[in-house]
Amino acid sequence: MTVASQDTLVEARNLSVLYGARRAVDDVSFDIPKGRIVGLLGHNGAGKSTLMKAMVGLARPQGELKVLGLDPWRDRVALLQSACYIPDVAILPRWVRVDDLVTLMSGLHPRFSADRARQLLRRTSVGLADKVKTLSKGMVVQAHLALVAAIDARLMILDEPTLGLDVLSRKAFYEMLIEEWCDGERSVVISTHQVEEIESLLSDVLMLNEGKLVLAISLEEIDRRFVALSHDAAVADEMAAAHPLLRYRVGPGPGGSAALFDGEPPAHLQALGRRMRPSLVDLFVALTRKPELDRTQF
Amino acid sequence: MQTWDPRQPIYQQLADLLAAQLLDGDPPEGQAMPSVRALAGQHLLNPLTVHRALQALGDEGLLENRRGLGLYVTPGARERLKAAERQRFLVAEWPRMRDRLRRLGIGPEQLEWEPRA
Repeated sequence: MTVASQDTLVEARNLSVLYGARRAVDDVSFDIPKGRIVGLLGHNGAGKSTLMKAMVGLARPQGELKVLGLDPWRDRVALLQSACYIPDVAILPRWVRVDDLVTLMSGLHPRFSADRARQLLRRTSVGLADKVKTLSKGMVVQAHLALVAAIDARLMILDEPTLGLDVLSRKAFYEMLIEEWCDGERSVVISTHQVEEIESLLSDVLMLNEGKLVLAISLEEIDRRFVALSHDAAVADEMAAAHPLLRYRVGPGPGGSAALFDGEPPAHLQALGRRMRPSLVDLFVALTRKPELDRTQF
Repeated sequence: MQTWDPRQPIYQQLADLLAAQLLDGDPPEGQAMPSVRALAGQHLLNPLTVHRALQALGDEGLLENRRGLGLYVTPGARERLKAAERQRFLVAEWPRMRDRLRRLGIGPEQLEWEPRA
């Protein structure tokens, strides 16, 4: 294995996944280096879950895909020693006790540490003797993360991990993920619709629209490449004339508008507005809305 | 969850927040700062962002790196922060406040300096 491939955990080149004639994932290419927290964004049906399944060998792709230097479809068993995955449909059996799950995982996974799992569970309000059916939805997800984070893996793939959780449970989930699992070497891929909430957590973004990758970029690069100008309603026409990617309202109160540009906006416009950090949600809306749904924002 | 002002870099906002806590003695001078991971978890921020914020505080001499031990609050950091805050008040806030007091015709003798019991 070369140095480069050790630092790159996922390498996809012209990757497609077909369901019959439908291209769920359509010719995407990207890299995920080590030590990253990657947000996988897209509307329902954009191909997020399919792409994640391909990364852990549960969907057969066309094109090139290497995860931890392995072909996920051919080497799934070897891959799953060092990559872990919580699918969006993950459930734990209702009748099982949490310490039974720890025992089960100890037998199933060679890189699972029962001690580590118990230590992580102590962070939560989940008791080892609790049965899954007595736990709240948030506690089940916490228990699930504690079990998966007790695997000494290099890559974690989380498909809509906080769906249906209240705000405190979501915060607790991400807190455990950041404090207990991310160590600067491991990478995580998270898909979610709660873009605003995890934006500041992310180092990179992969944005899918109808199977196609419309953006694969680091957050730092977003700040350099995209510029949002907040401006008064009085200069709205000038802003519109420069063809921004998106125009939207900002902040509470009347009159606050903003225009989002790919690249530096013309100098005369910069004098009319105030630069802001473009938000991921605005970028997402700008890059993934369907042309037929295109509507004037004002 | 925490929201960050889109007009300023997030690392700068975190650095300001941590500086305000240092001014309140949290953590006290000579004590260790929480780890990057702990801060990242607490504020739901990317660890790289936290790292940049701590670096900014280090550049201002408020934190010092003790080899192998991590970041500690520099002795004298609070005094330094207080001096900077004082300066900021006198330059940025006081002139506006003074103008307002003048407009309202409020003199020093009308201002209570001792908090009411």
